Amino acid sequence: MRDIIVNKIIPFSTVDGIGNRCAIFVQGCNVNCIYCHNSETINLCNECRECIEVCDQNALTYLYNKIHYNEDKCTFCDNCINLSKYQSSPKTKKYTVEELFQVVKRYKPFIRGITISGGEPTLYKDFLLKLFKKVKELGITCYVDTNGFYNGENLIDLIKETDNFLFDIKSIHQTKSLCRTQLKGCLENLVHLLNLNKVEEVRPVIIGDYDDSKNTVITVAKTLKNYPDVTYKLIKVHTLGLKKRANEAN
Amino acid sequence: MISDKKDIIDIVKNKALTYQQKLFNLANISERLLESREILRYTNEEIIHLENHMICDLNEGYAIYRPRYIVADYSTFVKKGCKFLDISAPKNIDELLDGLLILYNHVPSITSFPVYIGNIDTLIDPFITDEQTDYIKIKRFLNHIDKTIVDSFCHANIGPNKTKAGELIIKTILELKNPTPNITLRYNSKVTDKDFALTAVKACLKASKPSFSNENLYHKDMGEHAIVSCYNALPMSGGAYTLLRLRLGTIAKASKTFKEFIEITLPKVTKLMLNMIDKRIKFLVEESSFFETSFLVKESFISRDNFTAMAGIVGLADAVNHFLASEGKAERFGLSSEGDEIAHHIMQTIASNVNSHKGVYVERTKEKYLLHAQVGANLSDEDNYNTPAHRIPIGEEPDLHVHIKQAAQFHKYFVSGTGDLFAFDQTYLGNLDAVLDIINGAMEMNYRYITTYLQNSDLVRVTGYLVKRSEVNKVERGEVVLRDTAILAKGTNDNSKVFQRRIRK
Ligand code: SF4
Ligand code: SF4
Repeated sequence: MRDIIVNKIIPFSTVDGIGNRCAIFVQGCNVNCIYCHNSETINLCNECRECIEVCDQNALTYLYNKIHYNEDKCTFCDNCINLSKYQSSPKTKKYTVEELFQVVKRYKPFIRGITISGGEPTLYKDFLLKLFKKVKELGITCYVDTNGFYNGENLIDLIKETDNFLFDIKSIHQTKSLCRTQLKGCLENLVHLLNLNKVEEVRPVIIGDYDDSKNTVITVAKTLKNYPDVTYKLIKVHTLGLKKRANEAN
Repeated sequence: MISDKKDIIDIVKNKALTYQQKLFNLANISERLLESREILRYTNEEIIHLENHMICDLNEGYAIYRPRYIVADYSTFVKKGCKFLDISAPKNIDELLDGLLILYNHVPSITSFPVYIGNIDTLIDPFITDEQTDYIKIKRFLNHIDKTIVDSFCHANIGPNKTKAGELIIKTILELKNPTPNITLRYNSKVTDKDFALTAVKACLKASKPSFSNENLYHKDMGEHAIVSCYNALPMSGGAYTLLRLRLGTIAKASKTFKEFIEITLPKVTKLMLNMIDKRIKFLVEESSFFETSFLVKESFISRDNFTAMAGIVGLADAVNHFLASEGKAERFGLSSEGDEIAHHIMQTIASNVNSHKGVYVERTKEKYLLHAQVGANLSDEDNYNTPAHRIPIGEEPDLHVHIKQAAQFHKYFVSGTGDLFAFDQTYLGNLDAVLDIINGAMEMNYRYITTYLQNSDLVRVTGYLVKRSEVNKVERGEVVLRDTAILAKGTNDNSKVFQRRIRK
């Protein structure tokens, strides 16, 4: 994979790991959680061009079979990404390893490292492997913020190159309804990373009175019992009607 | 500037000044009633350049009878006490803190209040015996300073090493949230304990102090030194006789072309300022009796040969913007590489003039006066057109990483001090490491001094000193306030909108 599609870059982030970190949000996710708060990062653009209609600033154009985004004209009204049916964004940007490395290098003196978030970073494992090798030459660290839905065997090299993970645990038993996926193995993946001492933060999601929340929180807490240095951050999601939608999806 | 008799009656009738503020103002007016041609032998040309506001003498006065900034070595008091005040060397923390408070009363400065009160953690630490009771004593000591040294230019230093006293001092900062004293942590990431630095970051966000100075860099440039007043770095056991400043924005406006500015006007005005500094120092050393009579000299708290003088600048941004505009460029200082080039050209011109001038009575700094990035003041309408130091005007600040890098390239010129301040939002409180990373990054780029505060805190750093937002509001309503720095702050805010600095999220 030559390029990575980036939804946005936050040069200085205080919430993507300890210290000042550059957070890079990739485009594309392998699951589709019903509560996702940045659902515009889920899918790659299908070039349907509907967003162009809702942008009254002429910030979006279609040329050579591609959507082009002009940041100078954008007022950040988000009309385009609120076209929720495609869960994508026209405001993404493609980077080669070298290009993204040059961006990171600009922030280097002030950051402790980079955190790849998303979307789901592990979808870009080969790209990240190359990027991380370069970034680490700057003497800073590389983190991955993952949803845990990956096949560990395919990720051995990236895990080796990643300094730490920030790990979302959505649900223990109801990933099918909550994340609308058949993928499994999050908890096992977490345990594996814990054994390698590569987890900085674990974040189970608590959704209103969603059936599996309590079980998830307790199961993760038990898993982390022997890892006092790992931050355990409960993420509460307030979304009315989620349970109904989730159960319908079952 | 010269004053007149009417100024006296204006001060006497002023409804917004305390008795003490009136007294100091009257003393200052009397110093400026004298003819500077006679007393300092200023030439007509020098006076013209004060009157046209290209050079500013910060109203220091002409009958100079004490140095502007005194950096007394208070460890001398710990070792020997003070004969003149008849106090013996302190044997316990009570005697130490009492003795220091007495001593502070006798350390003059341009404002009459001490601008430096010691590296207080290293002074206090050997006397700590009981953490709990000593904490209360330190708190009382610092609170006493806040209520009696009513001038936020008063500065204490701590660090670079972590000490018990240092930790207690930071605890009191958080509890008291007082404007005075200003405090700086002399920070060296290789020496200063990380946890101590993080606690300092927390206090800096919540109570706007301590600030962070680049101990390593300043030590390399100046050896034994202290951070005093706003963020001036000056030799230990000495200080600065005087500080004059160039209003670069004003000088630029008066020049027809950049060539005329850089080749004729700027070198000429710089030279006039340096000559005036010479004359001021000569008067202070040779004619006023300060160095012959002060017990601070006799008892080795200070020594004449450790003094230097400062050549300040303001309005670098305005000078650069003037020339960018005259070339028809829409770019502005801060986000313009051409602007940076012009700025370096200006600074190199000033620096080479300052460095080739043989200063008088400044052996300690190799017979040179030191460049200083002056934080601004509100003494003339021209100050509306001269942004403090080499700063980017408020409202035009770029993203933080761009901002720090832009500013960093100019720190090398200002050996006697420069620095920047950044307002952060609440989320940084949850990740103090992030702020420390930014500070470390800035120091790696040879930043001399950096400070922060949370946008919503009542204590706000104006340009170099701290004020309470609530006190400035009082000044705006014409009420009397304890500290005259609140009055200065109102003027500065009117000019440069310091309360609207860009918040870093
Ligand atoms: S960003 Fe969304 S709406 Fe716009 S073209 Fe792509 S898929 Fe269609
Ligand atoms: S966010 Fe920008 S690109 Fe999207 S619709 Fe609004 S103006 Fe157009």
